[in-house]
Amino acid sequence: MKRLFYVLVALVALLPANATGARKIRVVATIPDLADMARHVGGDLVQVTSLATGVEDIHAVQMKPSFAVLLNRADVVLLLGLEAEHAFLPALLEAARNPKILRDAPGYIDCSVYVTPIEAPTRIDRSLGDQHPMGNPHINLDPVLGKAMVRAIADGLSRNFPDDAATFHKNAAAYNATLDEAIARWRREAAPLKGKKLVSYHPDMVYFAERFGMEPFGTIEIRPGVDPTPGHIAELKQRMLKEHVEVVVRERHYPAGLAETIARETGAKLVELPAMTGGVPEAKDYISFIDYNVRTMVRAVTGG
Amino acid sequence: MRPRLSTRHGTALLLALLLAAAPGATRTEAQGAGEEQVRKELDLLKEQLRRVEQQMKQQEELIRRLSGEKPGGPAPAPSAPPPSAAAPPPAPAVVDEEALKLKILEELQPQLAAANKTFPAQFNPAIGFIVDTVLSFTSRKDQGNFEFRSGELGISANVDPFVRAYAIINGTNAGGFDVEEAAIVTTSLPYNLTVKGGRFFADFGRLSKFHDHDLPFVNRPGVLDTYIGGESQSDGIEVNWLAPLDQYLTLTAGVYNKVGASNTRVDNTVPRGLEEFTYLARATTFFSLTDAQSIDLGVSNAYTPRVRVNDGGSRNLAGIDLTYRYTPLAAAAYRGLVWGNEFLLNSERQQTVPASDTGPALFRYRDAFGMYSYLEARLTRRYYPGVLFEWVEDLAHPGRVTNAYSPYFTVWASEFQRLRLQYTHLDAPRQRPEDQFFLQWTIIMGSHVHSFRDR
Ligand SMILES: [Zn+2]
Repeated sequence: MKRLFYVLVALVALLPANATGARKIRVVATIPDLADMARHVGGDLVQVTSLATGVEDIHAVQMKPSFAVLLNRADVVLLLGLEAEHAFLPALLEAARNPKILRDAPGYIDCSVYVTPIEAPTRIDRSLGDQHPMGNPHINLDPVLGKAMVRAIADGLSRNFPDDAATFHKNAAAYNATLDEAIARWRREAAPLKGKKLVSYHPDMVYFAERFGMEPFGTIEIRPGVDPTPGHIAELKQRMLKEHVEVVVRERHYPAGLAETIARETGAKLVELPAMTGGVPEAKDYISFIDYNVRTMVRAVTGG
Repeated sequence: MRPRLSTRHGTALLLALLLAAAPGATRTEAQGAGEEQVRKELDLLKEQLRRVEQQMKQQEELIRRLSGEKPGGPAPAPSAPPPSAAAPPPAPAVVDEEALKLKILEELQPQLAAANKTFPAQFNPAIGFIVDTVLSFTSRKDQGNFEFRSGELGISANVDPFVRAYAIINGTNAGGFDVEEAAIVTTSLPYNLTVKGGRFFADFGRLSKFHDHDLPFVNRPGVLDTYIGGESQSDGIEVNWLAPLDQYLTLTAGVYNKVGASNTRVDNTVPRGLEEFTYLARATTFFSLTDAQSIDLGVSNAYTPRVRVNDGGSRNLAGIDLTYRYTPLAAAAYRGLVWGNEFLLNSERQQTVPASDTGPALFRYRDAFGMYSYLEARLTRRYYPGVLFEWVEDLAHPGRVTNAYSPYFTVWASEFQRLRLQYTHLDAPRQRPEDQFFLQWTIIMGSHVHSFRDR
């Protein structure tokens, strides 16, 4: 035991914190969408890492001890908020022992602060499922709300590093202008989606649907985070047939079989979409992520 | 209502400037396109500005309503700055927007303050309650039992900016309530340090820090029950340090009266000399093999220099815990594999011959080894089948080995309700092999934290 201790002490002495020269602001984002935005807002001033790679279910990201190491050294943490990261972030923050980024500390940057969530429950009750207690948190799928997230990042970074506030706000405005152009284009491209009803595995398509004129019809899950029962599926299929639901979305982090079956049996189109930037190779940044979702959905609806 | 009027004035100014600028700009661009085109664009621009003005009027209306003022009050003199060639055209509008914001906030403040009132109960800690019940049946004498394993109350809250605290109070079918844990934990010490004090599960190994209902199977592995004494419950103090390295590494040092809820070697209630406390050291690390595969590794050692009931001899308990995980990133909620192992080595002076008329009791140092290993798969979000294997030497008679294997099947109805079916084949020394069946039903209500410790 004694020898082990000396070895450990020696290791620590040999590997000092590798900070040299003008240090960049260390930003840790929970998901790649926020990481991409932070790179645009922070420019050369920031060094950004993301915990999730984008293929995960945001409600079930694994708590890796290596994440605690990243958070331990972070100057700020960016989170989607609305309890989306409930399964991993609170425990990781505790393990990371970094007072700068604890909840309610300045470095804890909740990117949903400028968003009014939809589906906010009128009562908090686990019979309603537990994954969306503050309302629907999947705001990153709507690029207009993406702009609000960019603003929250700029404000959050400015709060922590006021000397660079002007740069952050200038960069954020420039990026949001780019987003605005893209949004105008997406609106044009998404014209065929108007009025189409969609069923998804989890209620994470609602902001996207509302933005582009689609109607969220129901989910394969019974409640957010609660797997379906056979009775629920039978009833859903019946309602889908009656109401002519044309699209079944399988978010790529959910099992394929059930969504496929439901689509086949109701004659709906199966559309497989990522729920985050990085969820497919084509979605390498936030804009290409929304691009991918809009185009994939339009292709499915127009039968292309 | 100065801001209102200056807003209107600013808008008018903006309108004028833009109208003045627009034809010039369009003319140069649209020279070949003819006057028709220019006029169209101009009309469009006018329409846009009209909308902007309309929006501003709506905002004014909002302020008026908020302040309870009737429209058409006395109009103070316009206060916008005089138009100047040097000032950028949008500036007055921006200034007015700020004033507008301030005014709105001012008007809203009393209502906001009223809505934000706190009540004493809002400082209440988070509360959760767990019901864990087991129907068991054993082939020995063909007997069964509805076992009320625990009704466990958990409460937790931040105490102040420096510490948080939590308590776990447990009632079982043994009767009475027991404070399983009641601990104070620092939250903002420098140098990556955390100090824990009170009663808590000492940082020894992995599953000895799990409460019964959090275990992956129905019963605590025999090696943890006999070598540690069930849960690693301890009264004492513990310091934990996260090394500032790229590689995840934590070290723990602790001092306790004793370690283990059902460890009867040491009396928890009477004072003792320094050599009779138990001293613990632990190191943990983590290796990412691929995106989906990882290994958690820990080594623990608990040393008690002097144990009275063991004729004053020392006791040392060493452990290694190794957990392999396969969790495909894109399917973490419904696919995966966990392979968990713990190996323990106990060295202590054991009584080999009891005291009698012919002489005093005889004691000898004994090394005993025990382990468990389990493999659990995640097939869907609901179904987790697994199998547990155990091999444990008797502490006083290392040659006598108990082994057991237990296939089990866990069904998660939701994240907060779980059913588990388990079969255990137990082969203990000098006893007939025993078959056991368990059906466990567990629920969590109220507050529930996904703790890092319970990974
Ligand atoms: Zn969700």
